Amino acid sequence: MNEEFRIAQKLGLMFLPDSPIPQNISLWATRQLSAKSPALGVKRVRSYHKPKVSEWPQSLQPNLQKRDEMFWTYKENVEKHQRNMPGFQTEADRNRNRQENLMEDLDALKFAHRNVYGEDQLRLRFNAFWANHFRTANIFDNGNHIGHAIEEAILANLNGDFSNMLYKVTTHPSMLIYLDNIWSAGPNSQEAVWAKRDGKQAGLNDNLGRELLELHTVSPSAKYTEADIKGAAKILAGWGAEPGRVSGDKLISLSERNNKIKKIGGTLNSWNYFKTTYAEPGNKTVMGKTFGPGKQALRELTDFLGSHDHTINYITFKLAQHFVSDTPSQSDLNHISRAWIDSKGNLDQIHTAVIERAIASKEPKFQWPMTWLFQVIRLSGANGFIGWEEEQSNDYNDNIMRTNKIFEELGQGFWLPGQPNGYSSDKNEWLSGEMFERRIRFATSLYNAGFPTQKVENIMDRVGANSVTRELVDSVMGGRRKFVALMCSPEIMGLDNA
Amino acid sequence: MPKINLTRRQFLKASGASLFLAGLPLPGFTKDEPPGTISVIMLEGGMDGLTAVPPFGDPNLMRMRKNLIPDNYLKLNSFFGLHPSFQYFSGLMANNNASVIHATNFPYTKRSHFEGQNLMQGGGLNPFSETTGWLGRALDLAKTPGRSMSLDMPLLLRGAHENDNFFPASIRNSGTLKTDLINMISNVHAEQSSSIFTKVSKKSTQKESVVPRDPASLAKYAGKAMSMEGGPLSSVIKVDQFDTHSNQGSDEYGRHGERLAIIDDIIAGYKEGLGDAWDRSIILTLTEFGRTVKENGTWGTDHGWGSAGLLAGGAINKSRVISNWPGLAEKDLFEKRDLISSIDYRSVCAACIEHALGLDHDLIADKVFFTPSLSRVYDYIFS
Repeated sequence: MNEEFRIAQKLGLMFLPDSPIPQNISLWATRQLSAKSPALGVKRVRSYHKPKVSEWPQSLQPNLQKRDEMFWTYKENVEKHQRNMPGFQTEADRNRNRQENLMEDLDALKFAHRNVYGEDQLRLRFNAFWANHFRTANIFDNGNHIGHAIEEAILANLNGDFSNMLYKVTTHPSMLIYLDNIWSAGPNSQEAVWAKRDGKQAGLNDNLGRELLELHTVSPSAKYTEADIKGAAKILAGWGAEPGRVSGDKLISLSERNNKIKKIGGTLNSWNYFKTTYAEPGNKTVMGKTFGPGKQALRELTDFLGSHDHTINYITFKLAQHFVSDTPSQSDLNHISRAWIDSKGNLDQIHTAVIERAIASKEPKFQWPMTWLFQVIRLSGANGFIGWEEEQSNDYNDNIMRTNKIFEELGQGFWLPGQPNGYSSDKNEWLSGEMFERRIRFATSLYNAGFPTQKVENIMDRVGANSVTRELVDSVMGGRRKFVALMCSPEIMGLDNA
Repeated sequence: MPKINLTRRQFLKASGASLFLAGLPLPGFTKDEPPGTISVIMLEGGMDGLTAVPPFGDPNLMRMRKNLIPDNYLKLNSFFGLHPSFQYFSGLMANNNASVIHATNFPYTKRSHFEGQNLMQGGGLNPFSETTGWLGRALDLAKTPGRSMSLDMPLLLRGAHENDNFFPASIRNSGTLKTDLINMISNVHAEQSSSIFTKVSKKSTQKESVVPRDPASLAKYAGKAMSMEGGPLSSVIKVDQFDTHSNQGSDEYGRHGERLAIIDDIIAGYKEGLGDAWDRSIILTLTEFGRTVKENGTWGTDHGWGSAGLLAGGAINKSRVISNWPGLAEKDLFEKRDLISSIDYRSVCAACIEHALGLDHDLIADKVFFTPSLSRVYDYIFS
């Protein structure tokens, strides 16, 4: 594979058929860090007509407040279904409620479209890395938030400091809901005092505090204690708004809902939502550092954790394993952690160091299932995902599966249920018959139903395929077999860059 | 407190589970067919043993977690009850085909999901110390490697011999697998990936069967496969989302109760699928940790240590609750918060291996769990 495509494979998503190949690939790679691309996508996909790529309509990208209101409406309507109220009785009514008010399918499609059509391929790979590092999977009530977190807490903060991204993610409703922080109350909070008086219950929940230390920052190598986890949980107590219904057995109007939310947290903004009555008064201690009372303690905590030596070493390894090599060398790690320390956690500098080592290292990187799929689609010009109009409709040309069904069959996707540790970047976790069968099947499906615009020979010429790949493709008969053989060759899977 | 809106049936249809089959006796390699089969239901997130099998005889139970205790529990004896989600399991208990081990787990007390899950599968002395799993090693010792089936191979089944996994794909317009094409692809891959493509190739020559994906049907399918002559000796089903930090609920409609109902359905599915092979089968649950004794501030529980293990199968001929009860008073808890594990669950796993695969306890203790001094609890379970 030529150097341009080798780097696009390791660090990006491959050059689209009609996009020019950069002259200076290293320079291109670092410049990609600040590339700007709107959310590009297609409205609908009709067989062999090449779909027109355009910007995602604003109406399908609601802001956070709108998303919260939609989710509340969804839950309110589910309650109306349970009461068998007029207009809320049939299966069609139920489907409409889902389609009108839940964002998980459209958000997953927008993420896929960005990756398939985006002009910021390298940024999108770092975006996926961090979305996985800060995984907020689709369980309980955060389906409307995952896409917003990936776009606004991660992608929008890729050029800032790690500590800032950490804070933005930690306070995002997707994280606060997924890791159960929204009802957590300090043991000595006003809420806990009232609850005790009334014979009710309120108190601490340490889930997010624990994962903030274990998965998002310092990792168990820092040898923190249960008391540190509790300290972090006490700082986090109070953060987060309740999603969905807030009115017990009563049905209420949207303005009543909004008044209630505003009364509890002082704002409708669920990304900056701190309930003072749930907050733990007094100082807290985490890993030897003392934090004062109040809302600002969380920013101090994430700044402290974000620049901690153990965080730097732990995440440096994750970055290197994802982009550079399954077994990164000590000099790879030193190079990246040095950039982190010197820049005080500036992501542009950290990512630049990752890019430098990924280019310098000739080791191939076996790509995640989703990355491979995006790369195969981009190389071949095939249609891999439906259009946004189709995703919202029950009645469409169904040669291509629904987006989250595609991710489910791939065995990887950010809108599936899952654990907060995310997907491994170690190729050994992905080398299995099952996973390989799925690649063969997806390649076949793309050829059969995706109408690739590029011929196998053209793709091989463009990427500078090696002799092993060419011999493989020559040895099988027929367009479909040649296509599948190419996409499942060691070279295109990222197992061999010779 | 928000309530769950899905009915139980809708919920079970929507909830995923993964199945893994392993341990195909190899003709000419396996001398004697092992005496039984062993299946593991892996519960990810930390099952709450005190909800599953509440110790009503302990006066501290209601004091510590009054919102988490179902009032329609099933009575097992004067001390222990059974959660109402376990309708089927309670029938097996009544028929002397199921038992409970209580206040038990692996000797891991640090409360991390990911270390705990690694340890309960790897069965090593430290998290992330092993690249194979205890069941995989046991199958190796019994000389019964073979394929397993799922979307990702769990560490639990990995052994020195190659297992492999297949879960039915449902990818539109992907046609049928072409053996010759896959062989060509396999030929150009390097050793490791080549051998994996070879397995896909082998699979492509087999008749494809339709396997449903809901947990109970997966168990039925697994049971059926295991009941056949020369079928797999082992299977693993993974169920997730036991990590109920908030709104855990108490009864069968609560968040934890719905997960327990899945276990109940899986055991029922196994029984149906296994048919006559039920008599030589043992099924056991496995979870990374129990949950805190005291309810937390958000109607849930946090990560703990001791939990309960559920055992079912015809291999059991007397139902028991096996426990060396450590107590729920604060002074009796581990670090004043967790139920102590007073029975090493590795011993329970070892007993099940001993029964199913006919291996000697000392060999299992040494080669599977690297702990020659591991206690033998076989007689408590199978006598």
